[in-house]
Amino acid sequence: MGADNLELTERLELIEKLIAEGRRSAESWGWTFVVWGVAYYVAFFWAGWGHFVYAWPVTMIAASLVTIVGLWRHGGRQPSTTVGRAIGATWCAMGLSMFILFDALGFAGHLNDVRIFIAAAAAMLGCANAACSMMLKWKAEFGCALAWWAATVIASFGSVKAGIVAFLVAIFLCQIVFGIYAMVLESRWRSHREAANA
Amino acid sequence: MPELPELNPVIHGKLRLALLSLLMGVEEAEFTWLREKTGSTDGNLGAQLMKLEEAGYVAVEKRFVLRKPQTLYRMTEKGRAALTEYVSALKELLGSAI
Repeated sequence: MGADNLELTERLELIEKLIAEGRRSAESWGWTFVVWGVAYYVAFFWAGWGHFVYAWPVTMIAASLVTIVGLWRHGGRQPSTTVGRAIGATWCAMGLSMFILFDALGFAGHLNDVRIFIAAAAAMLGCANAACSMMLKWKAEFGCALAWWAATVIASFGSVKAGIVAFLVAIFLCQIVFGIYAMVLESRWRSHREAANA
Repeated sequence: MPELPELNPVIHGKLRLALLSLLMGVEEAEFTWLREKTGSTDGNLGAQLMKLEEAGYVAVEKRFVLRKPQTLYRMTEKGRAALTEYVSALKELLGSAI
């Protein structure tokens, strides 16, 4: 009976391990944060040189293409999960909303105050980060949402300079630093998985 | 003495149990990914997946992506319920042995 019990316990452990394994396999998003963080910086500084109307749409389209190609190459053979699809859908919907809103405002000539752009963009990024953090129950990502919302408030009430600084700091913390942190975590999960499979 | 539950023989095979557990955590998965995760041979994996398909626990979809054939497996509601029942039965058996 003792051997049977061990076998049954092993089976339960195997089930738990493999269910978790399947879920973790689809999680590889860290690099997209870094790509988009770099894209925001490029667009922001390019716009600062007097190409405000074109800098953002062109950079955002380029970043979208890089992301699509990267996801296809990186995760093309990975299984899809419902949570992964929900997260992808959240970012995709937010990206499209930002693209339509800022292009419409920009080409209509209503985007004269950079603080309006920063406040709206940071609020939308905060919304997407908060939604994903709730799906993943990930406090670090909720911290990113708080940083974006802080940039929204600073841009709304502060000077242009304060708004710009807040936006650049939020990009650094929530895209570059958070992206690298997520990549480190993903790398650790992969190492643990390989060690467990060895 | 209460009757002990029987373990579903279709799920009880170790490879089939591993396959269902992997599919439980994902929406759908490719044959090659399942082979990589289980370390099984093509023949054995195909045979076990066919048994699961015949039991109605997994659904298979074959398609072409960039002219390459791709076989995708998805767990059905029946398979999900069967694995849940199997886990409950395992826990009950373990509980009765303590």
